[in-house]
Amino acid sequence: MTVATATGLLATVDVAHETSANRIGPRTDGADLRVTTGTPLRLAILVGREPANLAAARAAALGACADIVLTLATNDRQSFVDRASLLRGADPDAVLVVASARDQKGVLDLVEALRCAMAGRPRQPALLIAADERMRAQVALALAPLVIEAIPGPAAALARDAIVSRLRGMRRPASDVVLRDEAVEAAARALASADGRETLVLDVNGASTSLALANPAGAVIALHSHLGAGMNADRVVARAGLERVRRWVPRAVDAPALLERVFNRARWPDAVPATTLTLALEMALAREAVAHTLRDAERSGISVAPFRDAGAIVCTGRLARFPRASQTAIVAIDALEPSGVARISREKPDALIAAGAMGSRGIPDAANTIEPLAIVMTQWPKRPTLVTVTDEGGPVEQRVARGAFLLIPTNGRVEVRVAGSPERVVADSVALGVIVDARGRPLELPQRDAERLPALARWHNALTALSAEGLT
Amino acid sequence: MTWRFADQRVSHPLPLGVAQRAPVGQAVRAGDVLASGTRYGEPVRLAGARRLGVTPDDLPQVMRVPPGAELERGAIIARTGRRFARAVSAPFDGRIVHVRASGDIEFAPVVDRWSVRATLDGVVTESSDWAVTVEGAAWCIQGVVAYGPDAVGDLTLAVDGRTEELAPSRIDVRLRDRILIGGGRSAAEAIARAHACGVAGVVAGAVPAAGLRTLFGDEVSARGAPDGSDTPTVLCLLGFGTSQLPAEVFMPFVPLIGARAAIHSASARLFVFASSGVMTAPTMVPTIALAPDWGAVMPLEGAAAPAREVVLASEVVSAALETTLGTVPTGNLRTLDPV
Repeated sequence: MTVATATGLLATVDVAHETSANRIGPRTDGADLRVTTGTPLRLAILVGREPANLAAARAAALGACADIVLTLATNDRQSFVDRASLLRGADPDAVLVVASARDQKGVLDLVEALRCAMAGRPRQPALLIAADERMRAQVALALAPLVIEAIPGPAAALARDAIVSRLRGMRRPASDVVLRDEAVEAAARALASADGRETLVLDVNGASTSLALANPAGAVIALHSHLGAGMNADRVVARAGLERVRRWVPRAVDAPALLERVFNRARWPDAVPATTLTLALEMALAREAVAHTLRDAERSGISVAPFRDAGAIVCTGRLARFPRASQTAIVAIDALEPSGVARISREKPDALIAAGAMGSRGIPDAANTIEPLAIVMTQWPKRPTLVTVTDEGGPVEQRVARGAFLLIPTNGRVEVRVAGSPERVVADSVALGVIVDARGRPLELPQRDAERLPALARWHNALTALSAEGLT
Repeated sequence: MTWRFADQRVSHPLPLGVAQRAPVGQAVRAGDVLASGTRYGEPVRLAGARRLGVTPDDLPQVMRVPPGAELERGAIIARTGRRFARAVSAPFDGRIVHVRASGDIEFAPVVDRWSVRATLDGVVTESSDWAVTVEGAAWCIQGVVAYGPDAVGDLTLAVDGRTEELAPSRIDVRLRDRILIGGGRSAAEAIARAHACGVAGVVAGAVPAAGLRTLFGDEVSARGAPDGSDTPTVLCLLGFGTSQLPAEVFMPFVPLIGARAAIHSASARLFVFASSGVMTAPTMVPTIALAPDWGAVMPLEGAAAPAREVVLASEVVSAALETTLGTVPTGNLRTLDPV
């Protein structure tokens, strides 16, 4: 059901959080669409010996937000029994086989182990085979009576899209459900088209993390993972390690106590961070969820440089719901480590995701769903450089040296110039101002608490990102 | 989730190498063997159809034993019945693991045996080489997460009150094969001692997360731990860190003391096999609260003022209740409904 308005057809969308949902739209009796993270999909990957096969399979999984529960390669030294036991224990919902012609013998060994492992299973996993025709025929014979689905090799973008669509279809529990990752991609596409520049939507919520980079022509590169700042917080710790999360907390907290908090948060959907410490923990988890998703992309052969070069960064989900706008900005900068100049914005609560959900069904309208927060300039000057920021109040000059991290508050239209560079950056009004980040890339945090805590305090203070209580 | 007497259903996945399993309709008690099988060593690949000169499709007709059969060295696996017979025999004592589509046979030695035991008194309702499912009625309480293998034993109270922590000094070998009720909190030291003394399992309000790492390794998460061969069984009823059990959760343990019980780890449930009339299920549904620093889970007791919107110390604006524990955001409150 839709409502006709002066601006077109307006659908009502329920955007699900961990256990609750936020309704966006005119209806009160129900929703036309629901945005959820979907059913988790356990994916086993069986690949040939070439590293490109593994990278392509991982990239497809990352695009489809599938959880890789097992990876077996034809050149592994495991026995038939080991492989079958691993596959049985992994209990996959889908199996993706990616191999080239010279892996035929090895692939047949793997799929025989799969058939042995799945014996007696009431519902067989979906079997997607990306291989040449001859091998597909051999695999079909080996797996009979299991049914295989032939797909083109995922090295090509179009083929990867086909795999992603198929896997997403398995994650979608009902026809009125728009997967959150689909909505994020559609939102990125709508914003890039409207803005005329490459736009990155950075979505961190309790159960998943997404990065969708769209260009004005509508092409999207997307990364999705089940790492989150809420019910999947323990996955972030499991993947990144507790120490990598702890290093972002701007006060001394011992690792065991931190682990307790992470575990309790993971088992308490939609828990509210009542103290500055828990808010800082949520911010730390969000940073590592993004950083780790980018690391997964690198392992999958996807270049992350375009994500860092995006001219517009839009934060959504819990990342956009931190109490202070500066908290959203600092987490996005720390996690993404953008290069060059970018405008950081955040969505109005769930508005962009709801617009993305409608966009995924052919009604793209992302207007008035985001709030511009800041212009971030990343620099690594050889010697202190003069940055001039001009707004309605007139010009402000700031000398920037290596290691600096500062905010120059602005009011109204902004123009930024860097001494010695002909380039100038002009932007409309932003909530915070211009953030100059000269901390270097990759961003390194001191190892020792005695150096790390003052550095974090300095950075947070620069943006007034945490109250004094949170830093002591 | 709080106490309830009701029909329960438990599914037990089976590992590779099933040899025997309970048929549908068989009555079982918690602790009975539902299925047994073998663990395989390094397999060898035997030329089956090729050696016999038959097509892979015809191999089943000439096999003298079915896949899965356990054989002694030299036993005939398959043989053609022609005048000049050809045969495939077992190269060593072992089992036929799998017959390939090509007609080759994977044959492996048996290096160990396993068994899967029931965690519920009831009847087998589904049975396949993949899993065996049992259904039956029992008192049940749902926990947050459980670690370690399934456990069966008599229920024993090891604390004096619901707020107490399980003390290592109260655990000795006389508690062997029992399931201990550990109160509000059980630290790693107490759980490790219980395991060393042969205790079947420990049920506690909360367990310190770092302690779980000590017991189950660094891969432990809020959802469980990878399977370990020799690990204790722990059921966390409320969460991690510290807690106090609500009276509605703790008091029903008292009439159930001495009854047989089982912890099903995969579903984090405690089953107690006592008659439905042994007690009345609590009518009050307890409410628990997550501590502001997320480091503890506490029961909410006493009156609470109606919800109103407040600005918390984190500056998050949220609906919250004024309670005996202080101002608690409604998102950090949860009721323990029956299973």
